Amino acid sequence: MTVRLLFGAVVLVIFFAAPHFLAEFQLFQVCLIAATALVVLGIVVVTGIAGQISLAQAAFVGLGGYGPAILAARYGVPVWAGIMITAVVVGAVGYALGQLTLRVSGHYLALATMAFTAIVQLAFIHSDAVTGGAVGMQMPTLEISGKTFASGGTLYYVVLPVVGVLFLAVHNLIHSPVGRAFAAIRQSETAAAAMGIDVLAHKSAAFAASGFLGAIGGGLLGLLSTYLDPSQFGITQAVYYLAVAVVGGMQSPLGAIVGSAVFVLVPEFLQAFQTYLGLVFALLLLVFIVLRPNGLVSLASDLLRIVGGKQQRGAA
Amino acid sequence: MTSALLTIQNLTVRFGGLVALDDVSLDIAPRSIQAVIGPNGAGKSTLINVATGIYGATSGRVDYDGARIDGRAPHAISRLGIARTFQNTELFGEMSALENVMIGADRHMCGSYLSSAMHGPAYWRTEQAIRAEARRLLELVGLGNDTDVEAAALPFGKQRRLEIARALATRPRLLLLDEPAAGLRSAEIDELNSILLDLRANLGLTILVIDHVMALVMAISDHITVLNFGRKIAEGSPQEVRSSPEVIKAYLGEKAAHASHS
Repeated sequence: MTVRLLFGAVVLVIFFAAPHFLAEFQLFQVCLIAATALVVLGIVVVTGIAGQISLAQAAFVGLGGYGPAILAARYGVPVWAGIMITAVVVGAVGYALGQLTLRVSGHYLALATMAFTAIVQLAFIHSDAVTGGAVGMQMPTLEISGKTFASGGTLYYVVLPVVGVLFLAVHNLIHSPVGRAFAAIRQSETAAAAMGIDVLAHKSAAFAASGFLGAIGGGLLGLLSTYLDPSQFGITQAVYYLAVAVVGGMQSPLGAIVGSAVFVLVPEFLQAFQTYLGLVFALLLLVFIVLRPNGLVSLASDLLRIVGGKQQRGAA
Repeated sequence: MTSALLTIQNLTVRFGGLVALDDVSLDIAPRSIQAVIGPNGAGKSTLINVATGIYGATSGRVDYDGARIDGRAPHAISRLGIARTFQNTELFGEMSALENVMIGADRHMCGSYLSSAMHGPAYWRTEQAIRAEARRLLELVGLGNDTDVEAAALPFGKQRRLEIARALATRPRLLLLDEPAAGLRSAEIDELNSILLDLRANLGLTILVIDHVMALVMAISDHITVLNFGRKIAEGSPQEVRSSPEVIKAYLGEKAAHASHS
């Protein structure tokens, strides 16, 4: 318990100290990493833990961005409320999508969720009157009780706490009967059902969680980019999120953060190679699938084990 | 027989042209250990799979504790108090032995999604209780020293016992064991026998064992049913079954049956 309190205190200190040491643009990047990590956390839950391959994440992100933007433009709903309402609705959409798993699984599920992403993107492009069509639409600025949050420096105080709380909730969920049921379903559906686990309900719940997390992440990403471009919510982007999860490590929330950091920061270091960025990411994905299917996080835990093993031998 | 815990009536299961079970009836009395034996392909596993909801019945019915259960979902049947093990073991391989058993116990103590996400005091209490229960069950089947071992890394004999512990964690009244002795050495079979007898004595369990390993079945069963090519060819006490010419014929062939008569 004291360890947890200490950890919490350290996190809080870093949170409040960081703005004093980082430049505006770096804070913006931290926000970008956090929001991307939240999106990828949805994949960790549905694919990494529950074992259901999903290429629907880009669609959830898109809905999570367009939802509050449309609610604000048409009905004057405050953006923060719009993001929350949209996330709940998208969670329900995710639940419905999860019911698909009754009929399709494995590669076919990947194709079905990919089709979902394609359909949602087409809807964004062709509903000109509501979404601005292929041109896209402006994401309204976040305002909470008269204060506006428009820059990396101010959004930092919104994005990080939201992402932090949701990561904590998911971490807890994974280490609970619900998370164990998800993992059980991934490893053997037959045995899970024989243990009294309602497989379909749990798969749907995992999809609902991925929808909810993707939508909140999408809302936050919208606030950061300030513009919604429908080309950003297609199949390529769905594969991109999956790649972030694979590189970071599918099976733990930490993997989502590590992967997002890599995918947000690497382009900064490779400014000169902008044209080949897609190739770099594709190679990364390939290398990790073949050599490190459990991602960077597993690399770290293996290293820890080696170091720990050496220490034990040294003590003996 | 209204007193039976599980009643199988005129059960027929067809897969396309293949008749896996043909008009099989069976009663399992509470607190009994019963066995279904037969050569490979006799339909033994199909019987368990229908009773646990994995397959539906083509005709006939299965009743448990006064309610019809064939055609219900596997998880619903599990919650009624029927637990099972699998012929080729279906463990959660990446999890530790303890976690495997905890999953069985979760259904009884699990809180809501909200309490799972918050990790409040209620969560810690139930988590402790689940852990303690799982540890106790592992000790019961002799895996007290293997709690943290990854299930897939356990030797086969221990995997089988882990499956039994996991099944017990769902707090069943009826335990269905699908070939629990296959691939076990004879010392391990003796161990398994004493575990099963203990379970009945201490927990009042009803047990149905499916096997073709006679050593296990003959030693502990009150009642044995013999299947061959999906049909019931004999039933009775171990002694009766052992001397049945039909059974000898099915197991050892026509000549042996004649030899035992003469």
